[in-house]
Amino acid sequence: MVPTTSYLALSGILFALGMIGVLTRRTAIMVFLSVELMLNAANLALVAFARSWGDPTGQTAVFIVMTLAAAEVAIGLAIIVAIFRKRETTNVDDLAALKG
Amino acid sequence: MMLAFILLGALAIVGGVITIAAKNAVHASLGLVGTLLCVAGLFATLNASFLAATQVIVYAGAVMVLFLFVIMLLNANQPVTERDPVPYVRELAGIGGTLLAGAFVVLAFTFKDPRPLAEGAEALRGGSALVMGETLLTRFLLPFEAVSILLLVAIVGAVALVQRPAAQPDGVPDELEEPVGAPQEERRQVPRGAAPALMQTRGAQDGEVRA
Repeated sequence: MVPTTSYLALSGILFALGMIGVLTRRTAIMVFLSVELMLNAANLALVAFARSWGDPTGQTAVFIVMTLAAAEVAIGLAIIVAIFRKRETTNVDDLAALKG
Repeated sequence: MMLAFILLGALAIVGGVITIAAKNAVHASLGLVGTLLCVAGLFATLNASFLAATQVIVYAGAVMVLFLFVIMLLNANQPVTERDPVPYVRELAGIGGTLLAGAFVVLAFTFKDPRPLAEGAEALRGGSALVMGETLLTRFLLPFEAVSILLLVAIVGAVALVQRPAAQPDGVPDELEEPVGAPQEERRQVPRGAAPALMQTRGAQDGEVRA
């Protein structure tokens, strides 16, 4: 049986990859994709903990996180489409009107 | 079991690297689909069969279709710019990400299982929908109901956000209506195949139509 630490390490690596994506990508959609990667890394850690404790609470939390992520994607992509219609761009550097 | 973990884990990392490094947004989302499928496989190895199925259906299915749909709708499959707003942001993010991953790995190896793994896996009873449903409808009842309201709000919000602004009182949006006094006879004479070329060279349009 694969130890929990291996799953946690993999989860950390995936989370770090997602963070690099959020910091380096310039399109709002790609930033969103990277956020999805980070959410999945956290889910993986939660499921690994659930097996470690033998408690389905962790798995249920992952289920709720998945629902939240789906709602977040629907709203986020709708906002991106609305911004694109108005500004003709989804470059996060150009969308800095609220900066400062 | 170990072999499955190594294969799925390596593929998940490869998919993640494609996600953050691919120039083309469609390739990046396909990389993420690969990662999500691998994570679903890892869920299956962790006695979470229902979550594995949900991951494939909700994430790799619905969410990624939505992503690909928006990428193609906005024609955003090319990178917007090669210029970075912060100098050395890629290098700094790479160093920071490596440090973060290292910290997580070190932290992971300090974790000690509170009980033997086989015992914990036994207690999960395969992570079937039955086990999840019991927890969801007892201990997680309030979050469950809150999430259902949240999903309703998300549906209404998404529809409201992408709605076309201010249709005319007759119900026809502005851009679909004929401009007042448009020369309709000339329009009919334009052959169908010539339409794209005419749209590009608007100046030449009138001359061609009259000839």
